[in-house]
Amino acid sequence: MRSTAHVQLLLSTEELTVPETVGAHRPQGDLRGVRTALAAHGLVDAPTRAAAVVVVTRDAPPPGGTAVDGVPVRTADSLLGALALAHRTLADGAEDLVLVVSLPGAPGTVRVTRVTRRGAPRDREPDGTPADDTSRLLLWSGRTPADAAGSRARMRAVARALTDDVFRALPAVVPCGPAAGAVRGAALCPRADPAAALDAAEQVTAGRPRPVALLFPGQGSQHAAMAAGLYARDQVFTEAVDTVLGLMGAEGAAVRADWLSPHDPVVPVDDVRRAQPLLFAVDYALGSMVMSWGVRPTALLGHSAGELVAAVFAGVVSLGDAVAMMRSRVRHALSVPAGGMLAVAASAERLRPYLVGEVAVAAVNARLQTMLAGPAAPLSAVGKRLRDDGYTVVTVPATSPFHSPAMAPASAAVERAYAGMRFRPPGLALYSGYTGGLMGEREALSPRFWARQITDTVYFGPALDQLLAAEDMLLVEAGPRQTLTSFARRHPAVRSGASAVAPLLPARPSDPAADRRTVLGAVSRLWTEGHDLDTAALETLWSGGPGTQARGPLPAAGRRR
Amino acid sequence: MSTGATVTLTDLTRMLRESAGEEEGVDLDGDVLDVSFDDLGYDSLAMLEVIGQVQREYGVRLPDETVADADTPRALLALINAGGDLPGAG
Repeated sequence: MRSTAHVQLLLSTEELTVPETVGAHRPQGDLRGVRTALAAHGLVDAPTRAAAVVVVTRDAPPPGGTAVDGVPVRTADSLLGALALAHRTLADGAEDLVLVVSLPGAPGTVRVTRVTRRGAPRDREPDGTPADDTSRLLLWSGRTPADAAGSRARMRAVARALTDDVFRALPAVVPCGPAAGAVRGAALCPRADPAAALDAAEQVTAGRPRPVALLFPGQGSQHAAMAAGLYARDQVFTEAVDTVLGLMGAEGAAVRADWLSPHDPVVPVDDVRRAQPLLFAVDYALGSMVMSWGVRPTALLGHSAGELVAAVFAGVVSLGDAVAMMRSRVRHALSVPAGGMLAVAASAERLRPYLVGEVAVAAVNARLQTMLAGPAAPLSAVGKRLRDDGYTVVTVPATSPFHSPAMAPASAAVERAYAGMRFRPPGLALYSGYTGGLMGEREALSPRFWARQITDTVYFGPALDQLLAAEDMLLVEAGPRQTLTSFARRHPAVRSGASAVAPLLPARPSDPAADRRTVLGAVSRLWTEGHDLDTAALETLWSGGPGTQARGPLPAAGRRR
Repeated sequence: MSTGATVTLTDLTRMLRESAGEEEGVDLDGDVLDVSFDDLGYDSLAMLEVIGQVQREYGVRLPDETVADADTPRALLALINAGGDLPGAG
């Protein structure tokens, strides 16, 4: 018997078409679904591997006894129960493949989840420290509240009896079966008492889900090792980060090395040479990850440098051009004398009398949150005067005077570089901090508009007003530190409950497992909102997936879009 | 250090609202006592502004670590009404 200590389940779900289901009624239709699954995996006639089937059904087991075509078949009344059975089967070592057949599927199809043993358990961070993922997200639904309550009760019965081995073997997300209903629940279950978390979770009846808008933060939101807990754990996130950094050539490898060695970076994260590429890569990778779950945002809004990431998703610029634009900004920002940025708890109007020389309003973020920027010495003097007058002032981690006239020479230089870029009109509602509303075709196609972004004031608050006035939205912040989430939470449209916001990363630097936990919180929020999520993408979260190797070579820059 | 005045949740929510420049009536109704300041949208700048206002209005000296330690209105109220510096906290 194989040791059960380190068995980890690896899931892969697909929908299979079941031939000739017309007129077939259960249980004969169910049996056909099982046969389809067996055939698709080469398990009829001369099976090449030892396998078992678990049918998820609330009805009686399909006919044919406990085996179909010689393959043992068992039943479970929930996906969670099926995974517990699969774990036992795989841990015993007699079989090395379990097919979980979920019934009923959509008409004419059957949903088959292939469950195998993982080679190596994901219980270490890339730096060798133990991973601390002690929770699993369980999702359920039903067409009526009673139906959903039944789903929850069936999972609860399994959850109560889960042994430590089985719990640790579960995927990060145990998704709902096929044909999700409008009544939904989600519980982030800790190992200690998963049943209690299931009981405590609210079950909601989702109406028409509010459309998703993605928010991308910019300079000031970065921190050491931001989002590093997702790297080499989510395939889409990892490939997206590596693609962005791969477009930077040798510099990309240096940026990644500093990111993954937060205690000993060659260049610190607040330096513009690290903050800008890493924020771009992390924002872009988080946006890609959310879309891989089947979420299709209808609007985009970035803050400062985040607007360039939004522009990529809106189809205004290619990823390659956007990375080149970001690098050009960094290069020319370095030639501007050192400066900085301050956040002040006051309206922009209150601060205007304090502005001197090249110290300017850099960003209008919220009612009483304004950023100032300028060259180091005069900015410091303005900060002192404001503090003396009783204003609350916080220094933003930035080494360049972004969004102040001091950046004008850099804007002029990058404008020349941007002249050769190809810009297209936004293909999605793209809100801009530089127009304070929707970005029009004229702005989107203008190299000067993009070049001026490092010098001009960011009107994030007004742009958010416009976005939330157009339609009630579910805002999802694709970036570190919840900076934009905070602004949104204080917005009247979110306070009143008309719109809502879900961050993907923690509010402050924490451990890698907290990155993953916060992402699961956003999954839960999207699910209970009523969005239909691609369960095949969710069930592989944190398992890494094929081709995901920490610190492997970056893809060569070149022909990628 | 305590002035003897007790700060209530109503007082605190008023100061939270004023510190963020929010309109009356659209915000912070319901039971916010145990909702984290993160979830209420109070970032570090907004929290520093709230604490500054508490100090000005009530003459309570609140140490800088307050921002990090008091993560809910309940925790902040307890700290304020204990007179700011907790016993033994220097």
